[in-house]
Amino acid sequence: MRQSATNRFCVIACSTLLLLLTILSPAARGQEETVCIQCHGPQPGKGGAPVKAWRGSIHADNGISCHSCHGGDPNDAANAMSPARGFVGTPQEAGIPAFCGRCHAGIMEDYLKSAHGRALGKGGPTCVTCHGAHEVKKANLELINEKSCSRCHPYDRAAGIKEAMRQTEGLITDIERKIERFKGEGVDTERHEKSLFSLRNRYHRLFHEVDTAKVKRESSHIQQELNTINQTLENLDERNRRRKIAGAMVVGGLLVAALIAHLLKRTYDD
Amino acid sequence: MQTTSRRKFLGICLGGLAAAGTAATAYPLLSYLAPRSIDETGGKVTFPETEIPPDGAKIFDYRGTTGVVIRKQSGELVALSAICTHLGCIVQWENEKQNFLCPCHAGRFTPDGAVISGPPPKPLAKLPITVANGVVTVG
Amino acid sequence: MSPLKSIYHWLNVRLGVDELVEKRLTGYLLPRSINAWYSLGSVLLVIFGIQVVTGILLLIYYVPDAEKAFKSVTYIMNDVHFGWLIRMCHAVGSNMMVAVLLLHMLSALFMGSHKSPRELNWVTGFILFNLVLGISLTGYLLPWSQLSFWATTVATNSAGAIPVIGQYLVEFLRGGKLVGPHTLGRFFAVHVVLLPLVIGALIGAHLFLLERIGVSTPPFGQKETKSTWQGDEFRHESHPGGIPFFPNYLLQDVTSILIYLAIFFCVVFFSPYIFFPPTAFVPADPFKTPAHIKPEWYFLANYQTLKVFPSELLGLMVQGAAMTFLALIPFIDRGKERHPLKRPLFLACFIGGIILFIGMTIWGHYS
Repeated sequence: MRQSATNRFCVIACSTLLLLLTILSPAARGQEETVCIQCHGPQPGKGGAPVKAWRGSIHADNGISCHSCHGGDPNDAANAMSPARGFVGTPQEAGIPAFCGRCHAGIMEDYLKSAHGRALGKGGPTCVTCHGAHEVKKANLELINEKSCSRCHPYDRAAGIKEAMRQTEGLITDIERKIERFKGEGVDTERHEKSLFSLRNRYHRLFHEVDTAKVKRESSHIQQELNTINQTLENLDERNRRRKIAGAMVVGGLLVAALIAHLLKRTYDD
Repeated sequence: MQTTSRRKFLGICLGGLAAAGTAATAYPLLSYLAPRSIDETGGKVTFPETEIPPDGAKIFDYRGTTGVVIRKQSGELVALSAICTHLGCIVQWENEKQNFLCPCHAGRFTPDGAVISGPPPKPLAKLPITVANGVVTVG
Repeated sequence: MSPLKSIYHWLNVRLGVDELVEKRLTGYLLPRSINAWYSLGSVLLVIFGIQVVTGILLLIYYVPDAEKAFKSVTYIMNDVHFGWLIRMCHAVGSNMMVAVLLLHMLSALFMGSHKSPRELNWVTGFILFNLVLGISLTGYLLPWSQLSFWATTVATNSAGAIPVIGQYLVEFLRGGKLVGPHTLGRFFAVHVVLLPLVIGALIGAHLFLLERIGVSTPPFGQKETKSTWQGDEFRHESHPGGIPFFPNYLLQDVTSILIYLAIFFCVVFFSPYIFFPPTAFVPADPFKTPAHIKPEWYFLANYQTLKVFPSELLGLMVQGAAMTFLALIPFIDRGKERHPLKRPLFLACFIGGIILFIGMTIWGHYS
């Protein structure tokens, strides 16, 4: 009895210490310290492959670690993979959209409505078919490519969609760059950032749409609004140009005045 | 002689540039200090009718000045400028007397804004008011 | 008599305008060999004036509250008409003031103007220099950006190396354990009221001393370059047969001021961002230190000195010793000779010091 009480005390003390260490040590806040990675990381072959793939993924960059998707206890090696601690392991193929959709809810909705999603379980693609699983990168237009799409169907329709979206993508990155530049110059860009954020989301939701006409229609709406932002940014550029012209006049006037003052002074020199 | 005329010419040039410089300094300075323009046309004020106390007045910001809404005993709503026409103090509604009192120099106004007594030279300005679905709109 | 003339006459018989003009302007004679470097003082006076005026203008819209300061500066930069211009003038002006002040001090040193009997001019000038650094440092925090927040954290932290009282001093400067809203309050008061008043008073003292002892003669192009001052009694150094201040030297002052303004507005309009890294436009976040926090350029040499010494205390002591040496230089460098070419040791130290300062600054910038 006494023995087990001591044990319990030890366990509590140790786990408290561990918890404190986890909270206090700055390194522990990274994903590196989870027991998942401690065991799987060094494993050769299938066991360690996900860890290697995950490093450098957008999930790793944003601090989304193994347990964020697979559940389990990342701090307790003995119970790390216990279903009682919420471990879910690898989903079945038909369960993949729901698995990812726990976080990416809007995208799952779009996907399920699309032809891709309706073919789920009947040979249609799941999330990982195009995005990959552990190595997932920030979504971009290059995910639509001949090699990937023609695994299942001819590429021409996909190419049409990609073309309709390419311009939008270009506009968005262009505006993003401009906003970043203006921000570094002290311009209040908050309003533009907010509207760009919501437009980018609208644009991203198109990615899982496979209805070409709808993609084109929605793309042109988004582009219109992007162009309005672009226009206000160009007005800012124009304003800066006007300021520079005024500045050139001021500096020029001062230099001329300095020259005249100097000449005037010379008339007083003997 | 040549030096004198040269001096005079250069002096005039410098004076001209100094005048231009003064103007170029004054313009940004005055713009910087100019009051921020308030939209005089729009700026409707809306609030739920329930915000007007049954036996009192609601005072609110109205296009950069101050307005007041009262409910007359007839139940009719009246919106007025709350700024006394005498020296610009804010008039207060006195429910038991059913009129406005300006606390600065005891000017009194009727619920419709007309001067009853005291120094105010003009009645309080009326503001357009509409009520729809329990929402009051002034302006 | 025309009305204008009668007003002048009315004033003249009461104020003695004619005598004042004769004594202070047309009859105020300066050495014939005076050069353009002597006009830097007037340039500095104009810069200080611009800082005061733009500072007062900024106060109209600036809110010294940690919650609102950054927003109010953003408002000035974006919504107030010409707010960007006033703010840029103030911020760029502070950097230019330090730069011109350095030139003014170096030229005075080079021409031996600091030597007796002008020790007090040097000492007041040196105190002014330190106060200008202080007003720049305190003003740096006010926009409450990431840059200002963390630069202030680093700058106030170095006081902690002083033994015994160091830690308390850091907290005293900050008004708390860390830089926060209390720091903003005290820095604001010091920047906006205390230091401008003290600087204004010291400028008055500096000019009073100059006026009492008289303008020094540049050592260049003279046969005799030794100081003839005896030290037995007060003597105003006058320059009989010199050039009048008005209009001759005033026009030199005006020329220098206009050239300065041209350079100043060049920076303001075309390249103000040499003084504004992007972190200057991100609101302060006490939980997130941005990478590569560096102090302003004029503190880079001090910053690097602190880093090269194994202990911060040693670095601080070396800097303190260097500053004390500079402050007391007219009492240490007591030779009568004023021409730099006839003072080889001085010249070597002078050039070596400049190279050291520039070298440390560049090293600090790239480290």
